This record gives sequence, C-alpha cells and structure tokens, in this order.
Amino acid sequence: MWRGLWTLVTWAAHGPRSPRSCMRQASGAPAPGSGATIFALSSGQGRCGIAVIRTSGPASGHALRSLTAPRDVPPPRSACLRLLSDPRTGEPLDRALVLWFPGPQSFTGEDCAEFHVHGGPAVVSGVLQALGSVPGLRPAEAGEFTRRAFAHGKLSLTEVEGLADLIHAETEAQRRQALRQLDGELGHLCRSWAETLTKALAHVEAYIDFGEDDNLEEGVLERADSEVRELEVALGAHLRDARRGQRLRSGAHVVVAGPPNAGKSSLVNLLSRKPVSIVSPEPGTTRDVLETPVDLAGFPALLSDTAGLREGVGPVEQEGVRRARERLEQADLILAVLDASDLASPSSCNFLDTVVTPAGAQSPNGSSQRLLLVLNKSDLLLPRGPEPSPDVPPHLLLSCLTGEGLDGLLEALRKELAEVCGDPATGPPLLTRARHQHHLQSCLDALGLYKQAKDLALAAEALRVARGHLTRLTGGGGTEEILDLIFRDFCVGK
Amino acid sequence: MFSFRGCGRWVAASLTKQHPPSARLSGENAAPGTPRFDVVVVGGGHAGAEAAAAAARCGSRTLLLTHRADAIGQMSCNPSFGGIGKGHLMREVDALDGLCCRICDQSGVHYKVLNRRKGPAVWGLRAQIDRKLYKQNMQKEILNTPLLTVQEGAVEDLILTEPEPEHTGKCRVRGVVLVDGSTVFAESVILTTGTFLRGMMVIGLEMHPAGRLGDQPSIGLAQTLERLGFVVGRLKTGTPPRIAKESINFSILNKQTPDNPPTPFSFIHETVWIKPEDQLPCYLTHTNPRVDEIVLENLHLNSHVKETTRGPRYCPSIESKVLRFPNRLHQVWLEPEGLDSGLIYPQGLSVTLPAELQEKMITCIRGLEKAKMVQPGYGVQYDYLDPRQITPSLETHLVQRLFFAGQINGTTGYEEAAAQGVIAGINASLRVRRQPPFIISRTEGYIGVLIDDLTTLGTNEPYRMFTSRAEFRLSLRPDNADSRLTFRGYKEAGCVSQQRYERASWMKSSLEEGISVLKSIEFSSSKWKKLIPEASISVSKSLPLRALDVLKYEEVDMEVLAKAIPEPLKKYTECRELAQRLKIEDWGCE
Repeated sequence: MWRGLWTLVTWAAHGPRSPRSCMRQASGAPAPGSGATIFALSSGQGRCGIAVIRTSGPASGHALRSLTAPRDVPPPRSACLRLLSDPRTGEPLDRALVLWFPGPQSFTGEDCAEFHVHGGPAVVSGVLQALGSVPGLRPAEAGEFTRRAFAHGKLSLTEVEGLADLIHAETEAQRRQALRQLDGELGHLCRSWAETLTKALAHVEAYIDFGEDDNLEEGVLERADSEVRELEVALGAHLRDARRGQRLRSGAHVVVAGPPNAGKSSLVNLLSRKPVSIVSPEPGTTRDVLETPVDLAGFPALLSDTAGLREGVGPVEQEGVRRARERLEQADLILAVLDASDLASPSSCNFLDTVVTPAGAQSPNGSSQRLLLVLNKSDLLLPRGPEPSPDVPPHLLLSCLTGEGLDGLLEALRKELAEVCGDPATGPPLLTRARHQHHLQSCLDALGLYKQAKDLALAAEALRVARGHLTRLTGGGGTEEILDLIFRDFCVGK
Repeated sequence: MFSFRGCGRWVAASLTKQHPPSARLSGENAAPGTPRFDVVVVGGGHAGAEAAAAAARCGSRTLLLTHRADAIGQMSCNPSFGGIGKGHLMREVDALDGLCCRICDQSGVHYKVLNRRKGPAVWGLRAQIDRKLYKQNMQKEILNTPLLTVQEGAVEDLILTEPEPEHTGKCRVRGVVLVDGSTVFAESVILTTGTFLRGMMVIGLEMHPAGRLGDQPSIGLAQTLERLGFVVGRLKTGTPPRIAKESINFSILNKQTPDNPPTPFSFIHETVWIKPEDQLPCYLTHTNPRVDEIVLENLHLNSHVKETTRGPRYCPSIESKVLRFPNRLHQVWLEPEGLDSGLIYPQGLSVTLPAELQEKMITCIRGLEKAKMVQPGYGVQYDYLDPRQITPSLETHLVQRLFFAGQINGTTGYEEAAAQGVIAGINASLRVRRQPPFIISRTEGYIGVLIDDLTTLGTNEPYRMFTSRAEFRLSLRPDNADSRLTFRGYKEAGCVSQQRYERASWMKSSLEEGISVLKSIEFSSSKWKKLIPEASISVSKSLPLRALDVLKYEEVDMEVLAKAIPEPLKKYTECRELAQRLKIEDWGCE
C-alpha cells in the first residue's frame, strides 16, 4: 500500500490539473486502471479470525451475485450472512458476512462489495481465486483503492497522506495526528490559504486582462498586495513549526548522553523495555551509538545510547566519543544522565559545563536544544540525605535499578516531546511531511518574488507559481477558478 | 463582443422541397458531372474564410460554400479586432500565414496596443476596423487565392459513406447536399456555421428564426448532426443598437486617441495602410441610474434575459450588468464603424429590450441625449456542438473527415473563430494527403490553449480567450509567435508562403547574431556606468558585465546600448521589431 500511495502522490503532484484531469480522462480514453473492477485482501496477511476482501468498480454487484448465487445483492450498507461458493464449480468456500456499498456512497466512490470471510489462508485464497474468475475483475495494484477514492474526489491529497499515516501509526500521538489529517484539517488550512492566494491572483489577472478597457474599481492591485502580505505572515508562522509534524511522523531524536558509567545504557534499556545495550559496571562499555525506536509516553522517538564522554582513552572509544558529540548536535531532545552519587567528580563537572549549561544558555534566541537532566542511581543516596547539590540545574531523580522516579521522568518526557513534536491533541494542524514543508516554503519564496517584480506579468507569474505549490497540497488550481472569481468580483466585458 | 460570425444561409427545410433530413449513405458511383474538391468549407465567416484559405495554401483544391459571397468577411458584431489574449491569437494565425492580421493592417481606422505598461507578455494588439474595407479586402484576398473556389449555396445535408477502418468514427463524410438538391463531393468537409444552427433572434418578447439580422437559420443541417449522435447545446449572445454619428454630442465626452505610430498586426508588415494622423478617435461615456431603472422596470418585456440559456459572462448585456452589479456606472465606448460610415457602435450596450425602450434608454445617457437609433440591439440563441466531440485537429470523433471550427464549437469572437479556422483548414488538407495532423500544444500557443480547453473541458458559455487561461504566458508572447509556429507551419503543413518563411528565418538568424554580439561585448561595471549613466548598474561587482547583461536593466534598451556603443550595435536598431525582441526575450545567462 505504501509504495502505491507514493506513486499516487507523485502522479497527482505532477499532473497539471490533478483531480480534474483524471476525471476528464475517464470520459475519453480510459484513465490508467479505471474501468476495470479490482479486488484485494484488505486485512493483514496470515492466519486470523476474520479477513476482509474488497472489490471496487462497476462489476462489483455482478461479482457479489456470482459468489452468492442465486441470492440477490443485500440492501446497501447492511451486513448479511451468505454462503460463498466458487462460480465455476459451485463448490462452497465459506459462510461469510457480505456488505454492498453502491457508488457514489462508498470509500472509492464506485460500487464496492466487502466479503468478511474466516481468516484461514485456504479460505482467503479460494475466495480471491473465485473473484479472479469473474469476468471484468482483476487484482488491485498497491494503493489502487485509495487512488480511486482520490480520483473520484472522495479524499484530498492530504487526506490520502493522513490515511497512509493512520495505517502506519504506531503511537498514540501519531494516531491522533493522522486522524486529524484524514479528517482534512491540514487540507482545510491549506485550502484557506489557497483561496486567499487565488483571490489575489484573480485580482491581478483581472487587472491584466481587463484593466485597460473596463472600469475595475480603484485599488485592485493594492488589495492583492495586502492579501499577499497577510499570507506571507501566516505561512511564515506555520513554517517555523514545520519540523514538529515530521518528528511526530518519523520519530524525535532523543539522545542519551553523560559521562562514563552514569547509567545511560540502563536508562535506554529501561525506557525501551528491552536489553538494547550491554550494561556493566565498567566505564566505557558502550563505544558506538546504539539506536532503538521507542514509544515514549505516546510519542515516537528514536532513542540513541552513546558512549560516555571522556578524553584520553583508546582510539576506538575516542571515535565513539566523537560520534556521541555529533549525535548530540542533531538531537531534538537530550537526556543528560549523571551519577547522583558522583556529582563532584571531574567527569561529571566537565559534562555539566560542556553539555548541560550550554544547552540551557542558548534558550533566549528560541533555537535552544531541549535537555532533561536526570540524576541516576538515586538509590545510592542516603535516605533523607542532603539534596545532591544546590548548584546542579533543575533535574529529575531516578533509579534505573528500582524504577523509582520513572513516572516523573515519563511525565517530563511527555511534556518535552509534546513541545518537540507538537501535540496533536491541541494546536494547529502539523506539516507531517517534508513535502508539505517544501511546497509551503516554495510558496513563500514565490510570494517574495511577487513583491520584487516590476513587470506585472512577471508579478502574476510569481503568484501563479506560489499557487501551484499550494495546490500540490490541496488539489484544484485550474484557471477556471480564477475566471470564476474575476466574473464574480468584477463587472467586466464589453 | 458578439460575433455573428460566419456563415451560409441554410434555408429552413420546411420552406423548400422536402428532403429527408437524415444523412444519406452514398455509393461511390456519383452522377457524372458532380463537382469534386479536396476540401469543402461550409460558411464564409471568419472561421470559414481562414479555413478555406489555409486549405488552399496547403495545396488542396478547396470550395468555399456560402449563402452570399458578398457576406464573406462580414464583421457581424463589434467593429474591432484583437485585444488582450485575442491579439495573441491573431499573431499566431498570422504566423501560420492566416488572413486576419494582414487584412486588419489594410482596414484599421484606430490602432492601439493595450497593456503597454504591463510587460510584453500581455501586450494586446487591437484596432477599430472599417467594416466595409475589411469585407472588401477579405473578399479580394479570398477571390485571388489560388486553388480556392467560391460558390453560393445553402447546405442542407451531408453525404456519408463507410468509415476508413484504420481510423475511429462510425462513418466518413464524402460531400454535401445543397438546398436545391445538387451535390458536391469532397475528401474533407469543414463546418463553420456560426450562429446559424437553429438560430433565433430575440428583441423584447418577439422571436424570429434567423442566423443574423436578415438571414435565414439552418435547421436541416442541425437535425442531421443531431441524428448522427452529436450532443447539441444552446448558447446565447447579443449585439448593441447602432446609433447615427451626427446625432451624438462628442464634445462633452472623453476622447481616446490611437497610437502614433500604429503597430501593425502582421509579422510581414512594417507599417499599416492609414496615416497616423488620419486615424479616428473613440469616445467614452457611462450609464447612469436612469438606465438601471428602465432595465428593471421592463424585465417582463425581455424574454432573452429570462431564458436559462448561457450567455457569456464577459460580454454581458446591459441587462445582466444591471442585475448582477446594481448601482454602478457602466462604461460605454462609442466606436466608429468606418471612415465614411455614419454609424457609431456603442460597445457595452448590448440589449434586447423592445426597440422603443432601447431608444428611450440610449437618450438618457450623457452625450446621447439626442441620439438616433438606426438599428436596434438584439439577442441570438443558437445551437453549438459539445466540443469534446472533436479531436485537437478539430476533426469529429463520430464522422471521419468532418471538421468543425468557430462558434459551432461554443466559442465567441472573430479571433477565436479565425484561429480554429486555420487549424481546421490545415488539418482537413493534411487528412486528404494522409499526413499526420498539425496539432499545437498548450506550451506552444494560445491556439493550443483554446483547442485543448475546448476538446477536453468543453464549455457551457461562449468561450473567449484571456491571457489568464495560458499557463505558459511568459513565453507565449505576441512578439515571438513566428518563432513558435511559422517554421512548423512551413515544414509540417505547408501553409506558410516562401516570403513569410524567409522573413521569419531572417529574424531568427538576426536574433541569434545579435545575441552573440551582445555576449561578446564585455566591460567592467564601472565602465558601463560611465557609458550608460542612466542605468542603475552597481559598480561594486568586480566581474565584467556583458552587453547582454546590461540590456536586462529596466532603463536600458537597444537604442540606449547602440548610442553608447554604435559599432557594432547600431545595425540592430535599424529594424524596430528586431531591437524590441532582443530586449524582450530571456536569452538565459550561462
């Protein structure tokens, strides 16, 4: 499904007038893949209780009747129990629930049928083979159901992407975000931008095509200018948050760092609930960067265990230290780990000075690196003993050994990751893909060119390019929309 | 703008001897003496004239069938050609050696390039045209075109035969049947019937069958096309009343003066026929609330406005302007109909009220207080065929070798008609020679945009060209239509004369030579600054600048460059068009 969706996305993004063009092709030469009725196993592969097989296309009703003969097609959108049998041999295949979704009120907009069969491999392959023998039916290509839904205007491009993300969502926050996108929130936002831009462009185009001969009202170009300025502000603000959605989709980089033997690997194993790293009392056990994807408080994260930071060791460990520092620079969130019982040691002090303090100090310019300071081995501290040190920055106490303080750490991680990834439960819709960010940035760049252009045809071209980028996210973008606006807003023509 | 382009008079079937209106299937054994042509063009309007001339230029023996030879080249609506978008189409027609630009350069009375201050991609060549001269010059051109025969006659039916198996289509056209029962055989047939298919004229509550004022509509042919399975739609358009020139008080109105010197339409003309100072002015006046009142009080007397048939949004009648944009003053341009014409065309005042109310409305407009209406405005409703039924070569999917061009495809405007006419003429001829069709893509020209929009999207209102329809507007400019189309037309279609081909080749090589010279001249930026102080050249750049780079500054053109460096640049300013094109084109910056 995944590759299929991407093919679809590329296909749609590069089509000149995306959704419309495929509708049009349908009337003349058949669009690639349209016309035929497709079928596929829609639930996962392998032995299971229930498997769902779907068909979409004009022959769906015929397929349903062929397999359930001699029964009629069930009432639309209600489940009926039917005996399925092979139309060629009449051999019974399974007793199954079948559903009938006549188009256009179906997922793809075409006539669809669903067969909820028992999930044994023999049953599934028997039903698939039976469907394949019905004239006009062929197996679906990857992503083809969604492609048809897109082609029939059932899903917009961002909704398709949201659907793909929903199918692949592994954490709570990812699921929420994908569902919001599938509901079209990102699409709505982009569409409202695209509407503003289309209107500004329509006014510029009206000025070009009619300004000389017809009496357009005063200030047509000035209004377009102010609309473009407002759009620039809105896009700029949204783009500043752009990385968040991508982090939410592909995982935030959380790097565990600290001096040797502070318990970094123990923390990684604790958070990932599996022995990712070898743990030993010997300093310098971890020499390379070890990565593991984890679900941290509902957010996806790529957790990196790194070598303890120290100088003057052998070449292998030195390379590990270099890699650790490199990884620190790319981190979305640093989990800094110190031994609570060893804060006064040179390596602890050095780490506090070189990593922890600089990360906090950068915060005024807004591009600070997020860091959580964890003091491990709290079990070694004396009960009701003095606080480790008043000089140590804000921190959390944790014992990887006893698990004490883990709840507090998870809560702190949730808050930090909600900042880093954006919280899909609140806030504006996120740009979950680099593609979104690319087109919004290109749109913004083109708006900059609009302001510079002295030749009005060149200025309009900049707006056309800008609109082209936005419509890669929203669909649409034909010239008729511009003409409709021109004739709605102005009394032109002689 | 309403163009009742076109057309032959197809006498209504009921008025003449009864033919079965169904298409006939004929054998090849025609009666001896039946005339045979390669291409038959039905209709002598702007599409028909261009189609017939283009087919003949391509070497086909061509017959132009029109109900009245003296109506060839008639401008049925506004007395002007060109404009923004439309002017672009005309330059492309000219690049393919079409007629309308050359005829306009011989017949205009007021030439003006629109959008001069908005960048060369959207300059719009336009001219007020003397109707009488245009018609005379067009007829002279048509009657002197080799291989082209003109015959008067009204077409009633098509002769059809078995289809060619290697092409799609359910039958093939073999010729036409005239209203008197005689037949003409043809290898290809082009229909350019304008507003004549079931045309109805409307004034107030009265409706008369007519294709144009005083001309009968065509009903038999419309029935034939419908019977063949063509999907038919209905459109409406209209034209304003005409006013006696001497009854207008011009002295209190705003005057619009033409360009001096006028810019010719055609690539092969350096000048136009008229002396700049002999050109005629246009005048501007406005409607007022009294006009709104007359329209609104009399809607019940106005059946054209109430009908659901789609009219053009961009060529609205005064009624629809008042209804859609109330409480505004609307412009009315008073345009001359010709040098010695006593008529004025009030552009913007298209109206279908009963005649006496039209006169009442006119006289409450400033400057027209004592105006005499010579001919009332009227509306026309007519059949068009869904243009998704034709291919990009304008041949129909249903009937092989049958081509449509002009208003029959749902367009409006002389220029849109002419553009389709040239393409239909070329392709009808290529089809006879069994050569591949001549197709212009959206990236190559406005003609491509026009035909692609029509054949893929169809239209539900009369289709007019705008520059906003062209995705590649920056490169599809009026100045470079020859480099886009003339060479293709010469090599692939054979529709371009040797003279024009040589002119385009000379321009191409001069441009290339000019560019290489401009690239070869290199000075430091400070030297350029001294040579051309008026240019905002930054002297901080250490790299040397080429003359080509300096030409990109807004303040610099070839004249300025040649003044600074007469040798070798002076010779590139001798041809105004060459100098301008060197400035406009983006020659890259490798």
